[in-house]
Amino acid sequence: MWRGAGWLAVALAVAGLAAVPLGALLGVALTDGWRGLQDSLDPRAAQALLHTLVVALLVSASAVAGGTAAALVTERWATSGRRWLRLGLLVPFLTPPFVAAVGWVRAYGPAGLTDDALGIGWSGLFGPAGIVAVLAVHALPLAYLVVAAGLATRAEPDLERAARVSGGSSARVLWSITLPLLRPALITGAVLVFVTTVNAFGVPAVLGIPAGFGTVTTRIYQDLAFSADQAAFSRVIALACVLVVVAMAATGVATLAGRRATVRTGGASGPDLPSPGRSRLPLLVLSVYLVLTTLVPLVALLLTALTRAVGLPPVPENLTLDNFARAVDGRTAAALSNSVLLAVVAATFALLLGALVVILARRRGSAVLPAIATITFAVPGSTLAVAILLAYGGWLRDTLLLILVAYLAKLWVLGLRPLASSAERLPPDLLFAARASGAGPISAFVTVVLPMFRPVAAAAWLLVFIFALHELTMSSLLYGPGSTTLAVAVLNLQQLGDPTVTAALAVLLTVLVLVAAVPVLLFRRSMFEGVRGSGT
Amino acid sequence: MTHVPIPRDGSPAVLECHGVTLAYGKVPVVEDLTLAVAPGETVALLGPSGSGKSSLLYAIAGFLRPRSGSISIAGRAVSSEREWVSPERRSIGMVFQSYALWPHMTALETVAYPLRRASVSAAEARRRAQELLEGVGIGRLAGRRPAELSGGEQQRVGLCRALARDPDLYLFDEPTAHLDSALRANLQEQLAGQRHGSRAAALYATHDVSEALAVSDRVVLLRDGRIVQVGTPVEIYERPVDLWAAQLTGAASRVHLVVEGADGRAATVSVGGQSVVVQAGGAAGSGSRTAPAAYLEAGGRAAIVRPGWLHFGGPLPGRVKQTWYRGPHTDYRLDTPAGDVSLGEAGPPRFAPGAEVSWSLDRVWFLAEVGTEAASETEVGPDQA
Repeated sequence: MWRGAGWLAVALAVAGLAAVPLGALLGVALTDGWRGLQDSLDPRAAQALLHTLVVALLVSASAVAGGTAAALVTERWATSGRRWLRLGLLVPFLTPPFVAAVGWVRAYGPAGLTDDALGIGWSGLFGPAGIVAVLAVHALPLAYLVVAAGLATRAEPDLERAARVSGGSSARVLWSITLPLLRPALITGAVLVFVTTVNAFGVPAVLGIPAGFGTVTTRIYQDLAFSADQAAFSRVIALACVLVVVAMAATGVATLAGRRATVRTGGASGPDLPSPGRSRLPLLVLSVYLVLTTLVPLVALLLTALTRAVGLPPVPENLTLDNFARAVDGRTAAALSNSVLLAVVAATFALLLGALVVILARRRGSAVLPAIATITFAVPGSTLAVAILLAYGGWLRDTLLLILVAYLAKLWVLGLRPLASSAERLPPDLLFAARASGAGPISAFVTVVLPMFRPVAAAAWLLVFIFALHELTMSSLLYGPGSTTLAVAVLNLQQLGDPTVTAALAVLLTVLVLVAAVPVLLFRRSMFEGVRGSGT
Repeated sequence: MTHVPIPRDGSPAVLECHGVTLAYGKVPVVEDLTLAVAPGETVALLGPSGSGKSSLLYAIAGFLRPRSGSISIAGRAVSSEREWVSPERRSIGMVFQSYALWPHMTALETVAYPLRRASVSAAEARRRAQELLEGVGIGRLAGRRPAELSGGEQQRVGLCRALARDPDLYLFDEPTAHLDSALRANLQEQLAGQRHGSRAAALYATHDVSEALAVSDRVVLLRDGRIVQVGTPVEIYERPVDLWAAQLTGAASRVHLVVEGADGRAATVSVGGQSVVVQAGGAAGSGSRTAPAAYLEAGGRAAIVRPGWLHFGGPLPGRVKQTWYRGPHTDYRLDTPAGDVSLGEAGPPRFAPGAEVSWSLDRVWFLAEVGTEAASETEVGPDQA
């Protein structure tokens, strides 16, 4: 009975979050047939697609190269300060992308920090070069995480040691052993970065729109404003479909390329020793990189937020908290509470839904539900928002509920994945041992399984919370007068051209996200490895 | 007590470690270790896990920089306060506990790898790699990747990779730890076969006593990063320095007896009022006297017996407490006036638990000191070690 109710709830969720919206999108897209779809891709749309692809390729290449280098430094090279470098590398991941873009503008753009102080302002920041730079810096942690995990699980230190004692120099070992072993991780990292970049909206919105450099996502955003115009509306639908095709194609290529999987061999590997006799230069380079790309923009943002007006030097008599006061006036205060409310509800629902799916699928050995959750996550935010607008816009237009549906559709996989992978790694022996010790099925679950999942569940909740808190792509397409989110408020202020208040609001948003992220960063190991650590 | 473990035949050592101290952070794992290995010699590093065996191998290979001390290989200083030679430029071949086979390479590519690094042409490297694989009986598996090989086959590929480098020094880091006993014996055979007649030296880390005794010319006993004893396998087994060493290297029972007289290597001992003449020896204590005489004087040091040093039939009474049939031989635990002792005898069990038996002693070994508290009275058999 309970099981039946559980399945019904999951079926309703899947239908509401994935099937109905995507079906609605497909239905509208195909009313005019493929021809109609092609016709609506006018030269401007085609140009936006080209821009998106070129930017995504450049960002993937540089983020993977940089992420690999950073992973090698922290995991293989660093003897001390490894923990701080890891933390520093993850910070860009947690600052909302459009905040990073605003920070770069304040730091390196015209009339920015370096322009004021040294007369060096980068006018190219507004345009493709700036977009690629900021997106690459922002995507680097993603590539870094994937490669570092690959280094830990695939390229065991003993494999490299075996090559060193076989006569390979460190450069040769990197080339002939480490990188080939990392190939699956490199491909995965590149695809993740590619798909994320194709879907990116905040950075191209801040740096591209003023320069007239359009990508698919910013085109959708701009065209949707004129959705009463039939041509613009069909263009939105067509572009939304194109985004899905690009994302799916990239994932498909990766699956093919990564198919020849290599299996790890042998038993426990030797200890992970810091290598002797090495220079500290890479550490220095990495630290400088972190300061320039992460710290300086954040500091510039903070200074702007605290200064009376742009262009004034940050001396005491020019400092003020007025910007923060103005940032949290009536309208933005509502946006702030909207965002927090949405994030809390989305995180809680995503976790509950994830737990339900894990419990149900464990018995049946079903892989279908996780696959569906992954699909809605892979569907670009812009596309998903358009689909949800088509499906539910009629009754839910301009409500928070519409945005919540979008968040859940996009993010429930983040609640599901950590739980599911922990469940997979849960050695059945642990449950058997509890049963053999006299525990019934329910008390075994309560005494053994639940305590082990608590840290993972907390991490998953926080992850969804953070993502929802700084979500911009979907809410910028779905918000109405009463349902502005904090990220949308920042973007609107930025477009109105009020740098100091924008900066103040961006700082607020970043602080919120960082505060939520602190436990994840500090307890990353115990949170994500709670279950694995107790296995084997 | 200081041991200066140098090779016996006086030829220049292949490996020399002098005063090597290793630490991870502040935790010392090996302290002030001095050791030399001669050409053609195999030295086993025997110790429980955490005794510093693997760390020492890593330092010799160049994966871990010693806090202090120096290491030289084939007469060339590779690690000291001033010098540091990276692993690939040390003349070593290493076999890993985890096999450490590269998942993306076939067996042939793996074995050819060190040859290629030594600038051997691709064709020649493949030919020689194939030869090496044939040599350990897995030539037909040359095209397979590690995932398609069994544990024993994987470790033979690992062995060939070390052999391919034709180094001055082999380092074996518990190479059989993940293999079952049949495969273990097989690999030991392969190893002995390959090492036969070679001038290269080898250092073989293991926590398995029978393996250490079987494969080596000398055994170095390690405890908490310090050398406890160095000797030939026979010395290590028959002449342990203390109770810890005795119990690590095989079954050993402490016996309670009174020494009535000592005459060179023979001693008259009394067990429960019955006198027996036994072969006796003892670890050199602080005095210069032979051990039985010293024991006679001090009157309180521990004596141990190995299961093979006792036999059934004789003047001493006892009762069988337990028997273990091991195939080739049977182990008995006897309750005797000398305390609980273990007796080993070839063949199937002759007595059931509870049987009254008579027995006697052939030899005893007197320890220099009683040994650590933790090791007192408990008995550690090779199967439990």
